[in-house]
Amino acid sequence: MKNFFQRLKNHSKLAFFSFWFLVIFYIVSFLADILAPYHFDYQFRDKPYHPPTKIHFFDTQGNFHIRPFVYNTVVDDPVFRSYREDTSKIYPIKFFVDGPERKILFFFKTKKYLFGVDKPAGIFLFGTDTYGRDIFSRLLYGGRISLSISIAGVIISFTLGMITGGIAGYFGGIIDQILMRLVEILMVFPSFYLMLSLRAMFPLNLSSIQVYLLIVLILSLIGWAGLARIIRGMVLSIKEEDYVLAAKSLGLSHWRILIFHILPNTFSYTITALTISVPGYIIGEAALSLLGLGIQEPYPSWGNILSSTIGNLRVLGDAPWLLLAGFFIFVVLINFNLLGDALRNVLDPKNW
Amino acid sequence: MEYVLKIVNLAVSRRERTQLIPVLNDINFFVEKGELFCLVGESGSGKTTLALSIMRLLPKSFVVTSGEILLNGQNILNVNEQSIRSIRGKDISIIFQDPGAYLDPLFTVGVHLQEALHGTTEDKNQLITKTLKDVGLEPEIQLVYPHQISGGQQQRVMIAMALINNPSIIIADEPTTALDVLTTRQIINLLSKIREKYHPAIFFITHDLELAMSIGIRIGIMYKGHIVEIFRPDREKPLHPYSGILLGNIDKKYFNEKIPVSSQTDINDWCPFFEKCPEREQKCQKKIPFIWRDSLTGIRCIKHGRNHQM
Repeated sequence: MKNFFQRLKNHSKLAFFSFWFLVIFYIVSFLADILAPYHFDYQFRDKPYHPPTKIHFFDTQGNFHIRPFVYNTVVDDPVFRSYREDTSKIYPIKFFVDGPERKILFFFKTKKYLFGVDKPAGIFLFGTDTYGRDIFSRLLYGGRISLSISIAGVIISFTLGMITGGIAGYFGGIIDQILMRLVEILMVFPSFYLMLSLRAMFPLNLSSIQVYLLIVLILSLIGWAGLARIIRGMVLSIKEEDYVLAAKSLGLSHWRILIFHILPNTFSYTITALTISVPGYIIGEAALSLLGLGIQEPYPSWGNILSSTIGNLRVLGDAPWLLLAGFFIFVVLINFNLLGDALRNVLDPKNW
Repeated sequence: MEYVLKIVNLAVSRRERTQLIPVLNDINFFVEKGELFCLVGESGSGKTTLALSIMRLLPKSFVVTSGEILLNGQNILNVNEQSIRSIRGKDISIIFQDPGAYLDPLFTVGVHLQEALHGTTEDKNQLITKTLKDVGLEPEIQLVYPHQISGGQQQRVMIAMALINNPSIIIADEPTTALDVLTTRQIINLLSKIREKYHPAIFFITHDLELAMSIGIRIGIMYKGHIVEIFRPDREKPLHPYSGILLGNIDKKYFNEKIPVSSQTDINDWCPFFEKCPEREQKCQKKIPFIWRDSLTGIRCIKHGRNHQM
């Protein structure tokens, strides 16, 4: 494992950075409920489309405060939703402030929040949305869903693709024919419409957990077919390799040869393909959520945070911070692509 | 004498679209216990096909059309897939030509040796260390990947894998072709040392007749899918014209052009060497059987074969 990091670092500094960037992203979104200053559905009814809060060190008299503070804001112009800072009172940013009780890490109930300010002021690092909910908190919670959907989806489609492609390629003949025709049936549907129709098969009033699992399943059911075909092709060529003949001459069984000698030799490709396909799942979830078929409000995902901007050009102009979800998708996507490219070389023993 | 491997009337063909093209014809020979039998022939003469058919690892396009392959008395052409798997690597093992390509690049040498081991009661690690020592490698090499060691070391690993179950016969399919002269010498010495220590029979396939003459107890000469001669290099000289050409003894200039071609028999049935034979005659235009000189040696040539019979 230590070797792996060293090799990744030697191979490409950029990919090494991407790797740790993604690790931090995943950790942060896993710890969303500890780090977020507000619960994802906590609303400031009087502060919709609030711009990111300004954090001050100097008050109006020019006095320096070691502890940064914010001002409460009041609506200046209700039509254009512009806010004005009320400088009469400062609200210092404090650690472990009290707030409404919520569960953290799925089990522990607590009223403490890692950081925040006293009411009625609010600290909105990335602004608020149309209901006055803190975008920063929602992005953290949303990352938990979007990032875990991609990993779960990748694992399922990877397993399905490996099994189907491996068996079809190695055993060939009628098995190959049947499996590949099945895969082709899946592939002839445009994947976006297949996704929509699969989603339409299920009722809309599912619980959020059910919807979550459903989306994982739908996305991986669409993703595995292409992978299976490519793995089949690779297995077809690898099974003619000399070391497979040598493995046979040792008296190994077909399954052992397939699982220990042929499939691992496809990893140099599949690992890369998988890392590159991760963004596809994030976007797939975003696409479903964007159409209102994915994760339902009030639960946040990067997709449905983004979807709240759809069809409202004024929002895009007046509250561009709502597009930050798109920026996060973009950043994760780029990092996965960079990492995927480097992984192929790093995981191949011939390059060690 | 006890036979480890006995091949009776083996014929193998390659399927090409609808027709069958013969690759091996009328193969009859045996390898005795602990013997070093060399098979010599040009590229394309069917040496590797023969080795693979003994392992029952022929590609799907090849079919065994007739014959028997008896390994320790058991016809391995009849046994099912499950039992052939337990025979492979245990009773019979094979060393291939290009050791680099025959080791899985993703696994260390140690994993390869673990895989080669068939169920054993002995301590596995101890057995692996002992076998590595037998082939002249340090135990530390277990942690190394195949591409990190030299071709000679890779071939030693292959030999260790072939040796580890103490098989009764090891097929060595041109094990030195990919190696340089010095390493070739080392590998040959290693094989003879192993033969002295564990007494496996070795079926050594090569295209180098001189090498075969220096190590083989008996040598089989192969031409176009036929074994044309089997002889003992320490007792007698090879007599078949093709063996002579291989050794460089016969002047190719003398070539009888004036033989009238008989149209009565199929050209495929003629002596396989007829077209290039410097000593060919009218009577060679027919099927020539393999004539055993004594119990160990023989020749497929009417001219020289008949002399021996008398």
